[in-house]
Amino acid sequence: MTQTPAVETRELVVRYGDFTAVDRVSITVERGEIFGFLGANGAGKTTTIRVLCGLLPPTEGFVRVAGIDYEQGERAIKEKVGYMSQRFTLYNDLTVGENLDFIASLRKLEPGYYAHRRRELLDMISFKKGLDATVQELSGGTKQQVSLAAALLHAPEIVFLDEPTAGVTPAGRERFWNLIHLVAERGKTVFVTTHYMDEAEQCGRIALMRDGKLVATDSPAGLKKSVFPEQVFEFDPLQRLSFSELAAFEDHEAFSFFEPYGPRFHAAAASPQTWATWAPQLEKIFRIRPIAPSLEDVFIRAVQVRR
Amino acid sequence: MNFVWRRAAAIARKEWFHIRRDPFTLALALVLPPVMVVVYGLVIDFNIKDVRLSVSDGDRSQTSRRLIETFGSSDYFRIQPVASPGAAVQDVTAERAKAALVIPPRFEKDLLAGRGAQAQVLIDGADNSTVGPVSDYVAAIQTLASERIAGGIGSSAGAGRTDFLTAGAGADLTPPYELRTRYLFNPELNSRWFVIPGLTVVIMAILSIFLTALTVAREWENGSMEMLLSTPVEPVEIIVGKAAPYAALGAVSVGFVYVIARAAFGVPFQGHLWVFGLGCILFLFTYLAQGLLISVVTRQQTIAMQFSMLTGMLPSNMLSGFVFPIASMPTFFWYFTMLFPARWFMVIARNSFLVGSSLAQLAGPFAALGVSCAVMTTLAVRRFKRTLE
Repeated sequence: MTQTPAVETRELVVRYGDFTAVDRVSITVERGEIFGFLGANGAGKTTTIRVLCGLLPPTEGFVRVAGIDYEQGERAIKEKVGYMSQRFTLYNDLTVGENLDFIASLRKLEPGYYAHRRRELLDMISFKKGLDATVQELSGGTKQQVSLAAALLHAPEIVFLDEPTAGVTPAGRERFWNLIHLVAERGKTVFVTTHYMDEAEQCGRIALMRDGKLVATDSPAGLKKSVFPEQVFEFDPLQRLSFSELAAFEDHEAFSFFEPYGPRFHAAAASPQTWATWAPQLEKIFRIRPIAPSLEDVFIRAVQVRR
Repeated sequence: MNFVWRRAAAIARKEWFHIRRDPFTLALALVLPPVMVVVYGLVIDFNIKDVRLSVSDGDRSQTSRRLIETFGSSDYFRIQPVASPGAAVQDVTAERAKAALVIPPRFEKDLLAGRGAQAQVLIDGADNSTVGPVSDYVAAIQTLASERIAGGIGSSAGAGRTDFLTAGAGADLTPPYELRTRYLFNPELNSRWFVIPGLTVVIMAILSIFLTALTVAREWENGSMEMLLSTPVEPVEIIVGKAAPYAALGAVSVGFVYVIARAAFGVPFQGHLWVFGLGCILFLFTYLAQGLLISVVTRQQTIAMQFSMLTGMLPSNMLSGFVFPIASMPTFFWYFTMLFPARWFMVIARNSFLVGSSLAQLAGPFAALGVSCAVMTTLAVRRFKRTLE
């Protein structure tokens, strides 16, 4: 028997009054994928994820999660998915054990299964503090890891993570992503939204959203190829440039893309002809070398520049 | 201190922006005061009218009829004839009347014979909001009735009759009979006996509504509601689960209040503990559900607090009969107070402590409280959405 996709939406629309937060979004996420959702603030990522978790009803369109159509009831979807909100949602004044016990009761887990599962998950996140530690005693990174464990307690088929590493240290983010890979290796589908491009690089596929619309969906490498069919260059200024000089380059006819990247710039040529014309002059101002575009370049070009 | 007007003005201006964009605060500041003045101006009236007076006329003479007519012809009393003194007392016990007039047989004969005729006025001493004014009215009416009766006796003996409307001017004010006033359920009019059962109601109302009004709003503000709603939990499970611990806390508080009332203040408890307990449970759940409803609707702790004060604390103080007599309110407000569970529990609490009423005698207040509880719980569950809409 062929398995249905983990997530399937067709022409999904979510409106708040006159405002369309999600506009005809169609995505398919296969089982076992790590699927990333990228977009600027207000692009509609969180709204989409909330619909997929059964937290918001769709205004229009078809939604199927874990093989369950939304029409069958969001309750059935909630049984099959785990959700970690972008806000920390465990109770700070309760202990880790009390928080996990509470969620296990809401999920109606058998005591024996729960005890085994809790041990397994706390081992997975290498949780060293005791169950008696109150959540407010934990560091930001550990809190997020405990939240992940809580979202996985009932062994959901799909886990939705909405900006799970926001506000976490780089080391904490790395540890968290190791956990995400571990979860995926255990056969779960991970649907994750993030602002961090290095995190997005770790996803199997990425969907880019802008103004509620899906702009592109592909693997990180595929996106780089499709968004930047032309060669990308790194420009390292040989001399100090004023803001007005830099601004002039942004609108220069030589470039179809020119964006700051730390102290340097990433740029793509408008056409081979203009590039051939301008390159000798530009080489007097910049040290220029060809590079592969970063996912940040892809994001800026697809989500912001096209705006 | 270096006070800079410009900085203070900037803060005031910023605060004004907040107020302009917060319709609830604006309404609280501008709409509430006139509404409160109008409502409470109409509601707060110590001149009680239409006090239900059960009358047992054992004499059925012209003189006893004159006495009854005097009570009835004032605006203060509404006459409810009953067959016996027992039935009159029963009416007061069962809250069907606030006072009873008992005229014994031979009242007229004793009066005519100068043997010290006596009639009794029994006033519900359990209701402090009415007992004072009713006592004053009885005293005033006794004077008027004395003149009418004296006039009646005089006219039957051939003398001129005193007009009721002009009574008092130059007339002999010594009553030809004695109208004995007795206070049922609180013979010494001990004010603590009045206040403490009433306080029980107010304390329970404030405690229960404030406890739960914050609990759901807090979950919304902390973000934990999103986690809760991402599980298959049902609204009714959340409402019951939220209310239960606070109900237990409330029950313990009632226990404390009861023990303090009895042991420290010597307030008698004439009724049945289980009847009072049942009333407490219904009242607690009603106000806990109301608090939850407020919390579910507002989703913000500060607004939930303000709503709780408006819909819980103020009515339980002002419209429950604790301070201001309900009997004196205009008809609309008399009915309006029926919307507030505190009004009904006030009757149950006072009657349980001081009167000793049975469940059957308190059937009306219990039914009203039951309906309030069911409505509040249903509304709280219905308004609670399983999604983040």
